[in-house]
Amino acid sequence: MIEAIGLVKKFGDFTAVDNVSFSVSKGEIFGLLGENGAGKTTTLRMLATMLKPTSGNAVLKGYDTQKEPEKVRAQIGILFGGETGLYDRLTVAENITYFGELNGMSRSAIRERIRQLAQAFGMTDFVDKRASTLSKGMKQKAAFARSIVHDPDIMLFDEPTSGLDVTAARDVHDFILRCKSEGKTIVFSSHSMSEVEKLCDRIGIIHKGRLVESGTLEELKIKHGNNDLEELFVRLVGAK
Amino acid sequence: MKLKHVMIVLRKEVKDLLRDRRTIISSILLPMILIPVINIVMGGGIQKFEKDMNENVMVALSRSSNSPEVRELVQERILSKNPNIVLVDAEDPVKALENNEIRCILEIENSYAEKLEDGQPIQITLQYDESKTKSQAAADIVSRAIDRFSEEVVEERIAALGLDPDFLQPVQVERKNLAPNDMGNNMMLQMMLPFMISILVAVGGIPAATDLVAGEKERNTFEPLLTTMPDRGSLLLGKYLAVTLFSMVSLVAILVGLSIGYIINPNSLTIGIDTQLQGISLDPLAVVLALLITVALGMTFSGIQIALSTIAKSYKEAQTYLSFLMLAAMVPGYATMFMQASDLSPVMFVMPVMNTVAAFKMILGGSINYFNLVLALVTSIIFVILTLMFAASLFKKEKVMFRN
Repeated sequence: MIEAIGLVKKFGDFTAVDNVSFSVSKGEIFGLLGENGAGKTTTLRMLATMLKPTSGNAVLKGYDTQKEPEKVRAQIGILFGGETGLYDRLTVAENITYFGELNGMSRSAIRERIRQLAQAFGMTDFVDKRASTLSKGMKQKAAFARSIVHDPDIMLFDEPTSGLDVTAARDVHDFILRCKSEGKTIVFSSHSMSEVEKLCDRIGIIHKGRLVESGTLEELKIKHGNNDLEELFVRLVGAK
Repeated sequence: MKLKHVMIVLRKEVKDLLRDRRTIISSILLPMILIPVINIVMGGGIQKFEKDMNENVMVALSRSSNSPEVRELVQERILSKNPNIVLVDAEDPVKALENNEIRCILEIENSYAEKLEDGQPIQITLQYDESKTKSQAAADIVSRAIDRFSEEVVEERIAALGLDPDFLQPVQVERKNLAPNDMGNNMMLQMMLPFMISILVAVGGIPAATDLVAGEKERNTFEPLLTTMPDRGSLLLGKYLAVTLFSMVSLVAILVGLSIGYIINPNSLTIGIDTQLQGISLDPLAVVLALLITVALGMTFSGIQIALSTIAKSYKEAQTYLSFLMLAAMVPGYATMFMQASDLSPVMFVMPVMNTVAAFKMILGGSINYFNLVLALVTSIIFVILTLMFAASLFKKEKVMFRN
């Protein structure tokens, strides 16, 4: 479903992503684990066609990110960490409608989808309220709904729990698992070991732009003879 | 680029901006209310100032010349035809001038009567305070009264010699104003209206442009937007059209504001210079061309505003850049503000802002030059294309788009 082949991204002399390759099968959660500035966001931005790779390529659901970026974007939903990125002056429904329309949905399909999503995320009470009037939790639910309004097959999560409290982070985890249960393919970036252990089928450890290791958690633990992911991570990034 | 995507973005941005108090205030309410208020207040202020300058001009005689004979001469001969000049008694005239109790002091030599009798010149000294506008104006008013008195004395002396007064005026100059009747008194309108239209259209989109790119970046709504299906050209064009629309809304707001001002006080359009707006016969084709030039000016500045807002890392940074743009727009505006239609050169019709000012001055001045108007329109369209291309190139630059 996702194939990253030798992705390289340079900003001037600085190499942010250096020859990163991985693949993610349908319905799988792939975690990109790395410290701040390791190259996780840049990798996800290349997958989402926001950045053009300096070299290498990525193919999502058969579409080349460089040759068919619009088709790639139609297949993905994305959720960023920190701020929810909602338009404060629009209602929740208007926020979702905007993204639905931009992703090629008809008005009637959007209306029906909003009804479904409002029920699924318990938003019926505030779906017609402006985003500026909502609590952080409500905004987060609205952001979840907006990211999947067009029912994408691929979800990209860029440190989605960054800056969130325990409950909000748990809601994000539940949302990711919900996406997995719906058969979506997920790439998830994080610097939290526990999060990655909890959610991911496979992980890739990224350090200074290079993918230093990848595999299932069990494979990595066996390969490096260490059951503690944190210990394993420190050893891997420290060695490079 | 797909028109459907452009329209989705445009629709959303307009809805979003219409709910933004800052944009509504600065793009719609401010021009609608501020312009008539400024005109009326300014007009009222100027009228009051003119009245104050010309009426109740208090003058006093200096201590040395304050005698009943001199007072009589001044009252009867110099000020008799100037009821606006009032001769008052001042114990200390210099102090009274300092305290603004009087506006100037007349000093007339004591031997004036003999000198008048002998046909010799008499010395009148006018003391005033150059640092005070009213005193300066009073000195002019009193000087004119003295000149008239002097002319009367000359006429009396010539008559006494048995000569015709015309003897001393071998040439008489008659001035005739050939300006079209309906344009003569619209000078202030020619000065202010083109300037206000150009500046407000040029800067009218600033709040929208700041919000739509730098604001989006700061609120973290920009990255999710970039992950949706439309290409960047469609997103840019939708936002660009929204900014242009708001600069045009500013234009409409200005015109509504001016109309309100005119309804409240017809003098407001002439900034109160004791003139009423006279009937203007406008050439419809020229008006259409001028409006198209204005729209193109709005589009040119929208392109620059979107570009600067894209370069900015934050809302505040965008505001800083765009305030410089506002100043840049004002320079050509002020440079042409005081020119009359006849002073316009073809070069002015190829410069942004200046071309719009020039086009409206031409129309309000009543002397239409279609070549210059078409020249202004063609160059304006070139500026629109160039600025839009510049904004589009920035939207494609990763370094600019992801500066933060």
